[in-house]
Amino acid sequence: MASSLTLSGVTAGYGAVHVLEDVSIAVPAGATVALLGTNGNGKSTLMKCVMGLVRPSAGSIVAEIDGVRHELVGRSTEAIVALGIGFVPEGRRLFPKLTVTENLMLGAFRAAARPEIARNLDFCFETFPRLRERAGQLAGSMSGGEQQMVALARALMSAPRILLIDEPSVGLAPVLVRRTIDKIRELKDSRQLTVLMAEQNFTQAIRIADQGYVIVHGRIAFEGASAEALNNNELIRKFYLGM
Amino acid sequence: MDLSLGLFGNAIVSGLLLGGFYAAVTIGISISFGMLDIANIAHPAFIVLGSYGAWYANSRFGVDPLIASVVLMPAFYLLGAGIYQLYYHAFERRGDASLRGLAFFFGLLFITEVGLILVFGVDYRLVRAPYIGPSLYLGALEFPLRLLVPFLASLAMVGLLWLYLSRSFTGRAILAVAQDAEALRILGADPVRIKRIAFALSIATTSLAGAILIVIQPVEPSIGRDYIGRVFAIAVLGGLGSFAGTVVAAILLGIMESLTATFYGPSWSPAIAFGFLLLALAVKPSGMFGR
Ligand SMILES: Nc1ncnc2c1ncn2[C@@H]1O[C@H](COP(=O)(O)OP(=O)(O)OP(=O)(O)O)[C@@H](O)[C@H]1O
Ligand SMILES: [Mg+2]
Repeated sequence: MASSLTLSGVTAGYGAVHVLEDVSIAVPAGATVALLGTNGNGKSTLMKCVMGLVRPSAGSIVAEIDGVRHELVGRSTEAIVALGIGFVPEGRRLFPKLTVTENLMLGAFRAAARPEIARNLDFCFETFPRLRERAGQLAGSMSGGEQQMVALARALMSAPRILLIDEPSVGLAPVLVRRTIDKIRELKDSRQLTVLMAEQNFTQAIRIADQGYVIVHGRIAFEGASAEALNNNELIRKFYLGM
Repeated sequence: MDLSLGLFGNAIVSGLLLGGFYAAVTIGISISFGMLDIANIAHPAFIVLGSYGAWYANSRFGVDPLIASVVLMPAFYLLGAGIYQLYYHAFERRGDASLRGLAFFFGLLFITEVGLILVFGVDYRLVRAPYIGPSLYLGALEFPLRLLVPFLASLAMVGLLWLYLSRSFTGRAILAVAQDAEALRILGADPVRIKRIAFALSIATTSLAGAILIVIQPVEPSIGRDYIGRVFAIAVLGGLGSFAGTVVAAILLGIMESLTATFYGPSWSPAIAFGFLLLALAVKPSGMFGR
């Protein structure tokens, strides 16, 4: 069954620093939504709000999972993960001194993911054959591209219904960015995920996005209902792509 | 058999068995210091508390000291959980854990010692058990049961702990928590809870380690101080957080001390052993089995 995510009027910041101002975003069931914006505009902060790592001062964040609505604001991160919301954080945040397999096993910490652990591990190794070859290697000694694979695979191990990915392209060579983005689409289809992806790489992100939001200084500056609409938007061409 | 060869063999054997004892007293430090970055210098004081637990059960009810210590483990676990909770709220949460945390554990060390003195006095205490006294012989080699039984108990404890840490979800989270607590949180594990469990486990080991100590030698309240340097040295030499490394380092130190004591006299053994430790660390600072 389908799962969706809706943010309404979310305002958040860090102490006296205001970062998000009245942000509303809808991630419909089964869609891939791109959150576009350059450095420091609040993409990561928005994802942290969803994950319960930053608490909004106003607004609501509702996840509808298998037909049940859950208000996320006020819940602990552990409780939000337990609902089936997975997160690939900025900078990947692997455990450098644990092996690839140990990292992946930790992805299955949430109770609902444990019974399917063998199947999910198999799936991850099939999706990223390189990880099977490197199963015993310490995550910290892997290349940037391999680490991104581990981070994606680790999030999949939690058997999420909704997946948040913060800047998957960061630090990767152009060819790897392309491959990673393709992989995300492939995973979304095979695992029937609902995806919210933050990206600075506009051209790559809209290849797989069904819809997109452009965030500027913590406000939604443009909402594109399709990749087409985003591509043809004057505002984006002018301010975001600098054309 | 040649006399000095026999001496040599027996020194190795008793060093090996002594190493089992060192592994038991160090394994908790391997968890708290090696995996959680908590410098619990009061650890040996809790070991002495464990000795008194075993002694009390043994002298009062005639229970075997090792079995008594296993029965008492849950109480030590709860004590550890309580201490961690206090430590977390007072220091770790505010991010100034290192130096003030050290003062906190120094305080715990004194409180435990003074408490034991007030309740039990400063006399040496010892326990009775059927394995204290007799020995097994393998040719010219002597295996005193008072060392062999604790050695086996120690290895069993370390082995079970290692199984738990490497096979269970909570165990793997314990291995990860010092590397990136927030990353653990976004996988659905509360890092504070994970650390509390781990620290509580480290204190639970002091129950059995204390019983092992009092089986091997008589105990008085401040005897734990003799071991503070040794336990940290073994934990570092083994490679922080590595159980296999801890056991190997403990056995090496045991053998080294025993050989020195046999051939040069007991007063030399700490100096030689520590000299070796420093040398080994100069060659490989991450320890023998450090990742
Ligand atoms: N922990 C924090 N404390 C104070 N301010 C913060 C904190 N984290 C982020 N900020 C500020 O919030 C603003 C938005 O940061 P955020 O990380 O959400 O941006 P971003 O869009 O993800 O940028 P990037 O593309 O560089 O990752 C920035 O001005 C940043 O300095
Ligand atoms: Mg960011």
